[in-house]
Amino acid sequence: MSDTLFTNVRILDGTGANPYIGSVLVQGNRIRQVGRSTAPISPSGATVIDGAGATLMPGMTEAHTHFSWNDAADLASIQTMPLEEHVLWTAKVARNYLQAGFTSCLGAACAKPRLDVVVRNAINSGQIPGPRYLAASQEITVPGGLGDEMPPHLPFPDFSFGQVVNGAEDMRRVVRMFLKYGVDSIKINLSGDNFVPGADAKTTWMTDAEVAAAQEEVRMRGKRIIVHARSCASVKQALRHGIRLIYHASFTDTEALDMLEAARDEVFVAPGIGILWALLWESERWGVSHAKAVDMGYEEEWAAACESLKAMHKRGVRVLFGGDYGFAFNPHYQNARDLELFVKHLGFTPMEAIRCATLYGGQIMMRPDELGAIKEGYLADLLLIDGDPLANLSILRDPKRILAVMKDGVFAKAPAIASQRVWERAA
Amino acid sequence: MADVLFTNVRIFDGGGEAPFAGDVLVQGNRISRIVKTGYGQRSPPVLGATTVDGAGAFLMPGMVEAHTHFSWNDQPSLDAIQRMPPEEHILWCAEVAKKYLDMGWTSCVGAAAAKPRLDVVIRNAINDGTIVGPRYLAASQEITVPGGLGDTTAPHLPQHEFAFGAIVSGAEEMRRCVRMFAKYGVDSLKINLSGESITGMPGEMSQFTEDEVRVCVEEAKAWGKRVAAHARSAWSVKQCIKHGIEVIYHASFTDEEALDMLEAHKFEHFVAPGLAWLINTSHHASKWGLTPEVTKKMGYHRELEAAIESMKAMRKRGIRILPGGDYGFAWTPHGTNAKDLEYFVKYVGMSTMEALLSATAWGGPMMKMGKQLGYIREGCLADILLVDGDPLADITILQDKARILAVMKDGEFHRAPPVGEARPLRTGAPATVNRWAA
Repeated sequence: MSDTLFTNVRILDGTGANPYIGSVLVQGNRIRQVGRSTAPISPSGATVIDGAGATLMPGMTEAHTHFSWNDAADLASIQTMPLEEHVLWTAKVARNYLQAGFTSCLGAACAKPRLDVVVRNAINSGQIPGPRYLAASQEITVPGGLGDEMPPHLPFPDFSFGQVVNGAEDMRRVVRMFLKYGVDSIKINLSGDNFVPGADAKTTWMTDAEVAAAQEEVRMRGKRIIVHARSCASVKQALRHGIRLIYHASFTDTEALDMLEAARDEVFVAPGIGILWALLWESERWGVSHAKAVDMGYEEEWAAACESLKAMHKRGVRVLFGGDYGFAFNPHYQNARDLELFVKHLGFTPMEAIRCATLYGGQIMMRPDELGAIKEGYLADLLLIDGDPLANLSILRDPKRILAVMKDGVFAKAPAIASQRVWERAA
Repeated sequence: MADVLFTNVRIFDGGGEAPFAGDVLVQGNRISRIVKTGYGQRSPPVLGATTVDGAGAFLMPGMVEAHTHFSWNDQPSLDAIQRMPPEEHILWCAEVAKKYLDMGWTSCVGAAAAKPRLDVVIRNAINDGTIVGPRYLAASQEITVPGGLGDTTAPHLPQHEFAFGAIVSGAEEMRRCVRMFAKYGVDSLKINLSGESITGMPGEMSQFTEDEVRVCVEEAKAWGKRVAAHARSAWSVKQCIKHGIEVIYHASFTDEEALDMLEAHKFEHFVAPGLAWLINTSHHASKWGLTPEVTKKMGYHRELEAAIESMKAMRKRGIRILPGGDYGFAWTPHGTNAKDLEYFVKYVGMSTMEALLSATAWGGPMMKMGKQLGYIREGCLADILLVDGDPLADITILQDKARILAVMKDGEFHRAPPVGEARPLRTGAPATVNRWAA
């Protein structure tokens, strides 16, 4: 691994501070030195990348990633992909996330029991390229709930998208199985989803005994529970049980917001609002017209989610970006669009939106002191961006504008080199 | 896909003639023009193509591996291969596929997979661009009988999930098994006609009834599939010819009758002996407990001698002998496959030219692609290697990744040749200065 010096870059350090011109020296897998002046740090043998004024920012963290969702339009089509193809798909998606500037991803459920674990291990052993990854279990649900895709006449678990449990002891057995497989997080579906007929987003289904059993097992092994919680009751249930990473939280009331605020130093909310927007406005091609989406309840949920998230943001609850990309109408690698929605609809400043993906990203990856910012001693996960994301967040989802991606001190996407361009032209 | 012009290369065209100096133009995925540039001739300039100055390097067709097991995981036993979970196993296969292409094998013929769908999935993923790998023909698992080579179930654990191969008994079970693999989309069926000494059943023994073999071939042909056989014994070799089994793996033990039969049908069969397995099991597996004493007792030394004699006889009779075979065990790791060419020269008495042709000229029909593949000729598919040195003078250089300067498959560089400017400077710091201009 050769050392790298970025000179002449506009450093957006990810902490929320204003950008400044400077240079950054990467030695091994860490940021060794950050220079705050136009005079570059001495390269002393490092490969020099002249940024020519491009923005250097920390790699982004996706807070709710489903590598194994295969850009199909429904859960059953994701589930029916055969195992072997599914692993290769998952590996390909992992590689492409890294190329798209996500140097860390937090797995939020996989479609078959071991997909996430296997891909995480393959990334860590260097077998395949991919972001830093925390592996999730399948979604754990109850009969008839979100994730139970068994048709009534085919009641075989192999047909189910999630793991279906009934009762506290059943929950304990399934959680232990996933812990045995080596997951980092256990995903539980506490609420419904407008996607599922008969179990809409305002419903809440798990008993406290079931949630408590899961939490007990997970705490014992030092892992984390992450929850799908759209309904108000499910948000409160999650907080009551000490669950610290809540997905969606569309419906809240004052009590729920007070509880969130009280726990704001520990709790994170990742709303995954991209899919709500997509279903409302961009899913006609897949049979969900705007009228149908309204009928399914997505307009109401969108309005409620905007209110809830604005309130959370005001109360200082950390809101994260990412979520539920990997459907036909909400395809992979467009995840950074969430940041634009945060600014347009939730009252975030662009700087606050970026902080969701950088500083908070290091925190949810459980490495708050070494990941998610451009600071001396931090891990060298860096993006070189052509342009200013603060002025135009949409450049973060344009592959051409992401000039370089570095993970752990190594280029996953190397910057184009002027001398090579000349050579191409001459040929 | 940009067109590529290789200039200043020594062209080995796969036809058996001595290499000549010239230029090769690749347009799209085919070789569109070859110009001999000897005797002061110069090739006309080409507009719009990327030019690769070979500086005298050896340009040859991509090689074809005739007996490939992507899913063997460099372990010392069938059991250890079989026990890998399917998720890890498919990632392993993808990694190995890339390695073969890295080493210059632009085509591989699958000779059996360790789980039912591994080969099919890898072939499809290569073809649709999900992963990189050689052109590939996907095989079934090994079809075997209870107690035969590939039946790794333990008496107290008879579940078929523990079996390395697909176990059948009787003609109708064979038919069901072949149909299942045909449904999965394999290109060829692999049937273990003979034993294998390391598994307890010696290589001279045969294990299938005529009826089972007949049904296997009949059913495979009905689906348009090829049959390939593990056939070490003379009897099993004859079975292959009698039943029209196109690909004969090993053929270690032959008698006059078997050789006569083979010669009479020599353009209907391919023989891939897989000598690497015999040589390395006999002499280079001590680290894994298989000392020469042990393997001698197993019978491998005797089989190696018999196999060498058989191959020499087949070579004299003009039977097609192809390289490759059984790489993917601990003592025959993936990527070292070009050793087979060295073994052909060293043990079978082939010239280096014959050894090279065995990996190129016969590769086209082995891949069912006729003469489109395996030649550097106008109109042929652009599977091309650029080699530093002369394999005709030293066949072993093909084992060295650093000597294989570039690998092109279907007109695209898998490994592009190193560019002069990219060479590190010898003196001065900084070592390299890369400038990105907005």
